[in-house]
Amino acid sequence: MLQAHSSLWHYLWVAPNILLFLLAFLMWRRGLHRKYPVFFTFSFVAAIGQLILYAADMMPWVSAEAFWHVLWSGLVVEAFVKFFLIGELFAHIFGPYPSLAKLGKVLIRGIGAVLVFIATVAAALSPVSNSHVIVSGPHLLEQTIYLIESGLLLSIFLFSAYFRLSSERTSLGICFGLAVSAFIHLATWAFAANNSSRQVSVWLDFINMVTYHVCVLIWFYYLLVPREVTTKSAVPLPENNLDVWNRELERLVHP
Amino acid sequence: MTIAILLIIAAALGLIFILGVTLSRSLQISAGAGLARQIKPIDIEAFRNLVDPAEDEYLRRRLPTPEFRLVRRKRLRAMAAYVQAARRNADILVRVGQAALAASDAPTAEAARRLVDNALLLRRNAVFALLRIYIPLAWPNSGLAATGVLCRYEQLNGSAMLLGRLQNPAVPVRISATL
Repeated sequence: MLQAHSSLWHYLWVAPNILLFLLAFLMWRRGLHRKYPVFFTFSFVAAIGQLILYAADMMPWVSAEAFWHVLWSGLVVEAFVKFFLIGELFAHIFGPYPSLAKLGKVLIRGIGAVLVFIATVAAALSPVSNSHVIVSGPHLLEQTIYLIESGLLLSIFLFSAYFRLSSERTSLGICFGLAVSAFIHLATWAFAANNSSRQVSVWLDFINMVTYHVCVLIWFYYLLVPREVTTKSAVPLPENNLDVWNRELERLVHP
Repeated sequence: MTIAILLIIAAALGLIFILGVTLSRSLQISAGAGLARQIKPIDIEAFRNLVDPAEDEYLRRRLPTPEFRLVRRKRLRAMAAYVQAARRNADILVRVGQAALAASDAPTAEAARRLVDNALLLRRNAVFALLRIYIPLAWPNSGLAATGVLCRYEQLNGSAMLLGRLQNPAVPVRISATL
């Protein structure tokens, strides 16, 4: 079951990408592509990239070298889109509050620069898992990308948690799915970059594929399942000595 | 392998944190009466007195240096307590405002958005104000400026009052009354 080219392996590689395509289509139908244009693009790019990679793996006439070239290209394109997506999520979560947006931009740039430095050091210190650079390279590149992505997403979560911001449900869902994917992939790629065992590599691939599938389902849930609408009654405000306080506040505001 | 172990531990901790944040956000109960009651009253005039540089200068002139340092530290600790209380109130107002953001009428939603923005600004200013309070705690002779927080707190009161009026015109300023 947990073997490369088993039925489960085929399903886990193909199904989440078909679902991601479907999600993009449904987003377009519901007009969500206007609100989340980068996530919409990401859904297409990630799904197409993975399906091309799957086809390259299945077609016997595609050489191993060509397969790794396709993987490299897909990785770089997907990384770019993901960083734009993080920018889009940041704008959705903090954009409505001008008091945070400016500070947030400065912080996220600073954190980004620190993360690039940490990721470079981590890549430099990681041992080469394969003698062929074309094979070991993507492992390190994935580790680097996921380290930066995880750090940026974590800073968004930390920032919103500190300010007690209850983010808009859809943005929170996209951010959550992306973060789950980034953290688990970071752990598996960090392990893979330091381990050359074939069997371990297959298991890690399965963990990554299951995670990706779960994340696609998370995005489906947050983007397409409507929020339970609860009837909100007016907030009953506490009785107090409001006349005295009102006078005091007016006096303080306009001395 | 050490770097891999470090990254795996960091990833696990990060995952636990985001799961916690997402679950707490999803389960967050909308703001109600209980929440508004948690707002602690703050004697803003006493705080104004504490942050007044003229008061500090007066004490500096009147008291011997060791005694002045002692008094200044006490005043700074009191000031920090006020800022912490204002920050806690701002937390509550963020939640109250966010609950009101879903209001169907535009003026209430706009007032709520302004309230949340002011409360967030106060939380941000509180961080810097606390830094500026704790540094003089170590060096009581240095200067201090927490007036930004005071100014923001006053604006926040105004926003809370407006939101209170819009939500319940019959009982205009109940939120601000608890501040």
